[in-house]
Amino acid sequence: MAEPEEQVQEVMEILADLAPTAAERSRPAAQALARVRQAAAGQRSASNWRRMLTMLRRRAVPTTALVVLLLLLAFSFPGVRAAASDFLGLFRVEKFAPLSISAEQLALLEEISNSGLYPGELVMEGEQGEPQAVASVAEAAALVDFTPRQPGTLADPERIFVSPGSSGRLIIDLASARAIMDQVGVDPTLLPDSLDGEEISVHMDAGVSQAWADGTALTQVPSPLVAYPEGVDEAALGEALLRVLGMDPREAARLAGSIDWTTTLLVPIPEGVASFGEVPVDGQPGLALESLDGEHAGLLWQRDGIVYALSGRSVDELLDIAASLD
Amino acid sequence: MVEKRPAADTVTALSDSALLVRLQQGDEASFETLFYRHYDRVYGLLFRLLGNRGEAEDAAQEVFLTLYRQRFRTGREHNVSAWLYRVAMNTGYNTLRGRRRRWQRNRVLLPDATDAPVDPAERVGQVETRALVRATLSRLQPRQTQLLLLRQMGLSYAELAEACDVAPGSVGTLLSRAAAAFRQAYDQEKQGP
Repeated sequence: MAEPEEQVQEVMEILADLAPTAAERSRPAAQALARVRQAAAGQRSASNWRRMLTMLRRRAVPTTALVVLLLLLAFSFPGVRAAASDFLGLFRVEKFAPLSISAEQLALLEEISNSGLYPGELVMEGEQGEPQAVASVAEAAALVDFTPRQPGTLADPERIFVSPGSSGRLIIDLASARAIMDQVGVDPTLLPDSLDGEEISVHMDAGVSQAWADGTALTQVPSPLVAYPEGVDEAALGEALLRVLGMDPREAARLAGSIDWTTTLLVPIPEGVASFGEVPVDGQPGLALESLDGEHAGLLWQRDGIVYALSGRSVDELLDIAASLD
Repeated sequence: MVEKRPAADTVTALSDSALLVRLQQGDEASFETLFYRHYDRVYGLLFRLLGNRGEAEDAAQEVFLTLYRQRFRTGREHNVSAWLYRVAMNTGYNTLRGRRRRWQRNRVLLPDATDAPVDPAERVGQVETRALVRATLSRLQPRQTQLLLLRQMGLSYAELAEACDVAPGSVGTLLSRAAAAFRQAYDQEKQGP
């Protein structure tokens, strides 16, 4: 076997093959800089998510309306929130499907949102309670309908909150929903006439959030329950959603037909913000997200009807924490 | 009072950290200087990882967009090149994952074509060699791949320690381990399934 130094040298020679040849060099840097400047002009709103994440790291998630960390990241963009969140309520969470959304599409959705166009009216039932700080996980357990789990690798959390449950319904305004689709260049007739005035109701149970001093946070909340109007074609609505989020028609049609829309939650992730991928977590398929600067990470998974969102410094650390849940 | 902007030649003489401070204050010239200072290396790293000029350029653009938008903590030193390499690796892996997803959806495992015109015979050999090397790298831990690629690009041990966020004293050991892992995976790849 070669000596370590010798072996490193040998590997370096092999790797030298990967270096770009003269013909493979990048176009002039000035051109590349011009492209960056152009893209930056359309992406100014993309810093919203980072502010949101920083806030999350300082305090526990204080609301049940925002189900999970990754949704929070994606939905910190008003445009996506307005144009897509109501559609997302159609899905009962069992698994997650990440979808990259371009800066241009985000900017377009934000513009539509700013113009006051919404796909329907969201009516919340009853008073929306505030998150309640509690002294222990046992105290939190008494206030919710499940037993919150605790990671064995971490000390007791610094703060614990119970977010109250909530219910609401979206009354679909077909004309507005179609107008949104028209503005993003999607065929409005993807939404059938029968949808107008139909209601989609959503119920969320109370959840528990724990936060540690190092910025790690864990939110557990039962999967939201969603009731569809009778006769709704979920795949057709899914296709409409994919188109609104910027997917090309053929790809949207193919993907919409292959996703189980009754159990899969689509998670739009702004392009150029984070890397993401599927990972096994807690014995389940999960979604891992890491900001491109490597400073923030999140995990999202579902087990036994509970949705878990864990955020912290790195995916590796979070996987260890998730593996230690009691 | 009107704030005086530094002349362009003054900006180019500033350290990365100083440029970063100015960038945080909205100084576009500082971003430009940082871009020209680091673009070629970031592109070089991404090309080695991705093997495709278009994808490497797109990924490099994302890296610098992230730098442009990033709000760094003030009052502490930031190693810009190390930060850029970390972001580049993450962006590159993200691109690879996206490519795999596209392939899976299309159910066709096509080699990713480079758009460089070269001699056909030479190209076949080069494509095969590169495919073998990249397949090998894909079997290593991302940090090992980062360490090896950056070392091949000529980074010193001190620079590697910063870029890979490891103790300077452990770089030699980690590099040796990464090379051993590469060699083993490379031999296995050559033998085929």
